[in-house]
Amino acid sequence: MRYDVAVIGGGPAGLAAAIRASEQGASVLLIEREAKLGGILKQCIHDGFGVVRFGEKLSGPEYADRFVKKLRQTNVQVSLLSFVTRTEKCDDGYKLTYVCKEGLKQVECGGIVLATGCRERTRNGIGIHGDRCAGVYTAGAAQNLVNILGVMPGKKVVVLGSGDIGLIMARRLTLEGAKVVGVYEAKPVASGLTRNIHQCLNDFDIPLHLSSTVTRVFGTTRLEKVEISKVDERMRPIVGTEQIVECDCLVLAVGLIPENELARDLQVPLDPKTKGAIVDQNCQTLAEGIFACGNALHVNDLVDYVSESGETAGSAVVRRGKRKLRPVSTEGKLLYVVPQRIDVNGGIDKVVMYFRASEELTNQRLVVTAGDETVFSKVYAKLLPPEMERIVVNFDTAHTLDDFTVRLEDK
Amino acid sequence: MEMVCIVCPNGCRLTVTRQDGQIAVSGNKCKRGESFAVGELTHPTRSVTGSVRSTVKGYPVVSVKTDGEIPKDKIFDLMSLCRDLTITQPLPIGTVLVDDLFGTGVRLVTTRDMEEANE
Amino acid sequence: MDFDKTIKQVRKRYGVDVSVREDERSVFLSGECDKWSDVVAIGKMFVTEGKHVVNDIALKGYVAPAERLPALSDNALDGTDWDVVVIGGGISGCAVARELTKYKLRILLVEKHSDVARGASGANNGMVHAGIDLKHRCLKLKYGVAGNALYGDVCKELGVDFRRSGQYVIFDSRLIRFFAKGTVKRAVKHGIPGVRILGKKEIAQVEPRVKDFAVGALYAPSTGYVSPYQLTIAYAENAVQNGAKICLNTAVTGMDVEKGKVARICTNRGTFTARCVVNCAGVFADKIAEMAGDRYFSIHPRRGTDLMLDPKAEGVPSQTISMGPTLKSLSKFGSGSTKGGGVIRTADGNYLLGPDAVEIPDREDTSTDRQSFDSVFAKHSGVCPTLRRSDVIAYFSGVRAPTYEEDFIIERSAKVANLVHVAGIQSPGITAAPAFSKDVAEIVKDYLLSAGTQVAANERFDPVRPRPVKAKSLSDADRDELIKSDPDFGKIVCRCEEVSLGEIKRALRNPLGVTTVDGVKRRVRAGMGRCQGGFCMPLIVDIIANETGVQAEDVTKDDIGSNVAVCKIKEVGQ
Repeated sequence: MRYDVAVIGGGPAGLAAAIRASEQGASVLLIEREAKLGGILKQCIHDGFGVVRFGEKLSGPEYADRFVKKLRQTNVQVSLLSFVTRTEKCDDGYKLTYVCKEGLKQVECGGIVLATGCRERTRNGIGIHGDRCAGVYTAGAAQNLVNILGVMPGKKVVVLGSGDIGLIMARRLTLEGAKVVGVYEAKPVASGLTRNIHQCLNDFDIPLHLSSTVTRVFGTTRLEKVEISKVDERMRPIVGTEQIVECDCLVLAVGLIPENELARDLQVPLDPKTKGAIVDQNCQTLAEGIFACGNALHVNDLVDYVSESGETAGSAVVRRGKRKLRPVSTEGKLLYVVPQRIDVNGGIDKVVMYFRASEELTNQRLVVTAGDETVFSKVYAKLLPPEMERIVVNFDTAHTLDDFTVRLEDK
Repeated sequence: MEMVCIVCPNGCRLTVTRQDGQIAVSGNKCKRGESFAVGELTHPTRSVTGSVRSTVKGYPVVSVKTDGEIPKDKIFDLMSLCRDLTITQPLPIGTVLVDDLFGTGVRLVTTRDMEEANE
Repeated sequence: MDFDKTIKQVRKRYGVDVSVREDERSVFLSGECDKWSDVVAIGKMFVTEGKHVVNDIALKGYVAPAERLPALSDNALDGTDWDVVVIGGGISGCAVARELTKYKLRILLVEKHSDVARGASGANNGMVHAGIDLKHRCLKLKYGVAGNALYGDVCKELGVDFRRSGQYVIFDSRLIRFFAKGTVKRAVKHGIPGVRILGKKEIAQVEPRVKDFAVGALYAPSTGYVSPYQLTIAYAENAVQNGAKICLNTAVTGMDVEKGKVARICTNRGTFTARCVVNCAGVFADKIAEMAGDRYFSIHPRRGTDLMLDPKAEGVPSQTISMGPTLKSLSKFGSGSTKGGGVIRTADGNYLLGPDAVEIPDREDTSTDRQSFDSVFAKHSGVCPTLRRSDVIAYFSGVRAPTYEEDFIIERSAKVANLVHVAGIQSPGITAAPAFSKDVAEIVKDYLLSAGTQVAANERFDPVRPRPVKAKSLSDADRDELIKSDPDFGKIVCRCEEVSLGEIKRALRNPLGVTTVDGVKRRVRAGMGRCQGGFCMPLIVDIIANETGVQAEDVTKDDIGSNVAVCKIKEVGQ
């Protein structure tokens, strides 16, 4: 079997990529690991999805459903409960090996779109010590237990991490009758969207403790208590500040990491800052024919942008030309910028760029230059690391198409 | 006073002032911010999501939402109402479970498609 | 013997007065100390040839936590009668039970946890030691070398992965290299095959990461790697296959000794009788001995922490390498307490850094802490300077069960006729188990014969435990065929370790009846990968609930009471 495009992952990015590639006339195979499409959206039953795209506040399953219904109208071949075990380069593209309930299958494709999403950091990833009892879960696992399996991970809960997922789980568990003792955050500022602090914590009088983290957990069978420590500026626990908090559940919302096992297998170079692939403005990685989008590329706050990058990849994978890649360098207090390359042959009049500031900043100017020339500039009254910013840059007017720089400076 | 608009993920930071019984809002990027601020001061409302039990195989719970906003102080009443509901057959997404919540005209609808092939 | 000199030394060094009493087998110590490390150090000072140390020196102000007992009480075993009862489901107990099934006997193994291999057997690095660092004339050496030689066959029979890929001990000075010649000589004398010294060039070829500081290495080709818990599980399953009964969640709470024999064994699941009792109770082996009125050794719990490295991290070496003694630590070499360690490539292809060795008063404290993490990293990362702390993806601790003599005790009790002790089993216990379990079975058989019990060979004994299917390691064609025979093998549940639904379902039908999340993890590795179960744990809970017919909230992580969830939603407060 041969397809023009294989999309790996049927979450929001993969759905968008598959639909778009199919709309461009390509034959598309969408490979999804689970029994149902939608990815993590299936368990994100809270609302707020799709405001940018649909002008509506949809819940995760509803947002996914819109794309699934659209997908059904295309000729995309969907293979559910299918897991890619091997990817190899072949003469004219790539060969994928995957297993599904019918057996082990091999297909060839001209291009691959990696839409494999991200995974959560674990207790080990942040150095929590102590016992190995039940009751310590990543936010995603806790969310699955509540929203899919319909069981409560605990009745007295501590949430570590004030990112959106942590805040949303704090509210969700409160609504289901659990007591959320507090949300703890190692950083001196909250990580989640301000609206979520408001509607998830303030609405329910859940305290938020900044510059604090969980350093140890106790419990023989189930969690009985946790040790909270204050942290210094470098987020190291301060000895002597330990405090014991009783709880039967610890929810860890301590960060997401793009899932890039397949990219690694294909030796696609990754960006150490985003932990996703290095891409051009069309989401094509440094390996010809391999695209990456959504949270596999970099962790987004809004699903709308996940879908957008899926569409970018789905569109570009169909129409590939000879690339001429030029690096994008960054200056100033930027956590990262995506894309990391500009393909000067790849359409440069509407280049979508995403960036995050590396710290909380006020009165900043973001400047994009090509050579000595400023091609874009925008002033921001406030920038926060948890809030991803999106800009659209027209490089068409630039005289030199090289030495691209994104710079953040004081206004 | 300062407040954060929660209508959309933009989370605009609003400045709200009251003068002579009039409420003035600034900092909002769209009109919804203004009505949010006014509402928040006079009769705060929230849209709420949750789930209800189901006896359908493969769906121990089915997600639901209010299709509009209900008074903030009714949130836990809604949760106990959800506790009393049980879905017994596969329903399409958007099925109305409760027609008029607390006299607001807001409905409780399912947000998950149960008709999808159940592997 | 005269201990006055030692007592004086203790007083001088630790400011503590100890009382010493001795009988023909043991030296009994009592007193009180401020530090646990002092308690242990003092105990070691009284080790004398031919005697055991029973250390009753108390730690001031310390109240030992109550032993963790299963939250279960029934009469399942009440009034039953057995030929042999094995206490403890670690590697020792499971191997002994399996060896005993070669005879037609009614065998019961009791284990207080919800699965076997829950103590030290499940929390070590799985190194099958060559034995290069063992002392003369000790049981560790005898059984270590003999056990190592048996490994290929045992693992083949029991269907467990085993890789004999050797180990390299790196030297950073020529002087040490010179001393290592003695180690090679000793290895030859002890019958350890193939030990030799590699030159600078040779070791740099094997492991280029050490070329800047290695002047040579000691190479022990017979060192191998096994998953210690999978081997323990395999021994247990083969024992059950051959007729033994394994009763989990069953703790021995007392024993009645009559006429110099254990007459009855009391547990949380009833009181029963046995003709012969084998004490394989690990860190509680001295407590079991005490219950039988045969207290003549002490176990001092020693915790070891291992760090698991991201196999894809840049700095991870390809082989098992450890740093040899530096000039400073030379005196320790060969003392028996510094067992290899370093960077270990495990049987599963993972990499472990460690372990350390910390004396702790609580026998069941398997928690990890920052100090151990830091010391393991500092101690062992020297051999691999490119390693970063962020390369560590998981860590765990296990509590070893050494005696003060630091050797195994494998013998029939001198006091209680029908009691056999298999105690003090610590490193290289995994290595030695295949060998000593055979001897223990013979000791039991000889006793039973002498006590008038018929012991016939079990003609239906089958040494082969079927190897669990691992779909990931099959060839494409075989994997395809497997999936066509059962589509569940095509449905991947754990994406990090690529474990299918079919493998999980089979694991849940294990002969021990273990249906916990961690039980699945130990058997098929689901949840052991980089996401640490973040994705698959809820799925596995669901699969366990469906397969065993329980509610999702009743599924436990491990022991009774470790439920993953506390109740259904909508039922909080009910």
